[in-house]
Amino acid sequence: MTDSLSPHRESLLACPDCDLLLRVDAVPLDRECHCPRCDALVQDGGHYAIDLHLAAAFSGLVLFVPAVTAPVLRFTMVGQWGSNSLLGGVWHLWTQGEQILSLLVLLCSVVAPFFHLLLSFGIALTLRLSRLPNNFPAWLKWHRHMQGWSMLEVYTLGIIVAYVKMLDDGDVFVGSGTYCVAGVLLCLIICNQCFREDVAWRQWEQRK
Amino acid sequence: MSSRAFDKGLARCFSCGKLCQLSVQQHQASCCPRCDSPVSFRQSASLSYSWALTLAALALLVPANMLPILTVVSFGQGDPDTIMSGVIKLWEAELQAIAAVVFIASVAVPVAKLVVMLLLMLVVQLKLPLSKEQCTLLYRFIHFIGRWSMLDLFMISILVTVVHMGNIANVESGPAALAFGAVVVLTMLAADYFDPRLLWDLEHE
Ligand SMILES: [Zn+2]
Ligand SMILES: [Zn+2]
Repeated sequence: MTDSLSPHRESLLACPDCDLLLRVDAVPLDRECHCPRCDALVQDGGHYAIDLHLAAAFSGLVLFVPAVTAPVLRFTMVGQWGSNSLLGGVWHLWTQGEQILSLLVLLCSVVAPFFHLLLSFGIALTLRLSRLPNNFPAWLKWHRHMQGWSMLEVYTLGIIVAYVKMLDDGDVFVGSGTYCVAGVLLCLIICNQCFREDVAWRQWEQRK
Repeated sequence: MSSRAFDKGLARCFSCGKLCQLSVQQHQASCCPRCDSPVSFRQSASLSYSWALTLAALALLVPANMLPILTVVSFGQGDPDTIMSGVIKLWEAELQAIAAVVFIASVAVPVAKLVVMLLLMLVVQLKLPLSKEQCTLLYRFIHFIGRWSMLDLFMISILVTVVHMGNIANVESGPAALAFGAVVVLTMLAADYFDPRLLWDLEHE
């Protein structure tokens, strides 16, 4: 009994939400598996499309610089105009004396999405080449933190709301930055859909 | 009765999900063989952190809603808006859909998160006999919706930058923006610190 419960065998998993011990040796590694008690996702399903992950992360990184620097919205009112970009908005908040707020917006709209993409790229590339660096576990941990704080989808909704809000008072134009943000967002969504963290951890374990 | 990993002396690693053998006495100080993170049976001091963060967020919710969050100055005139008065103005300007989105993100979500966090913590603290399935669903729900509260702050950062035209029109952020940002971050952290397994542990007592 104790032998079969040895944690070195992947025959057992614990539910992350209710700690139920699950025997999974009969479940194939690519089959989605839910906790019978609380329905938490215990094992992700499907096959890890590593090339798609790599391509999406790379495209996201290429689009990233225009996405944060190009104008997102442009507003004209009686001959005057103003525009914003992701970084411009952060900088403006900073100069207005809202330093803490500007750092928070910077983290969620620029820093976290960037590192999310960069780490995705690094993880997919090293897995693809089967040459995992020694700090690969740290990459995976930071990847997860960055995933939690990357809120580009919320920012995109913010662009839409701001656009509709300003329509009443003047002319609003959608800048090229918006299209780049949408592109980066799409890449981030593809990355999240493709990535299988458990596969990455298993690869790391086997390499050791 | 179904068995917990805890009963077998197995702890799930928070970082990589690996099951690690721990003796019941040794609550911490052990590291995951796969990723070298510290491993413990439950998120340590989960409830204390969640209480502290939730109560701090609850206190900051008051200035976040009472103080002005945004001031639109147009041709030298303008009055400051709180979160709620901004929503009402949008509604009166026939922008009901946007008003609803802003209301959900800035009012309903933070309040719902705090209410659910308080409920979950009370369930664990007072061992209330509520359905654990439903509590877990609520927990997942607030985890999922928490990030959408940032909407208002992103909108503010866009508006203050775009509408910045000297004396014709200007949008300025108010003191409530910082308080609101703190509420969003604190509630997100509170939900992260809360360990849902504490709910299910009640079933094993
Ligand atoms: Zn479960
Ligand atoms: Zn681990």
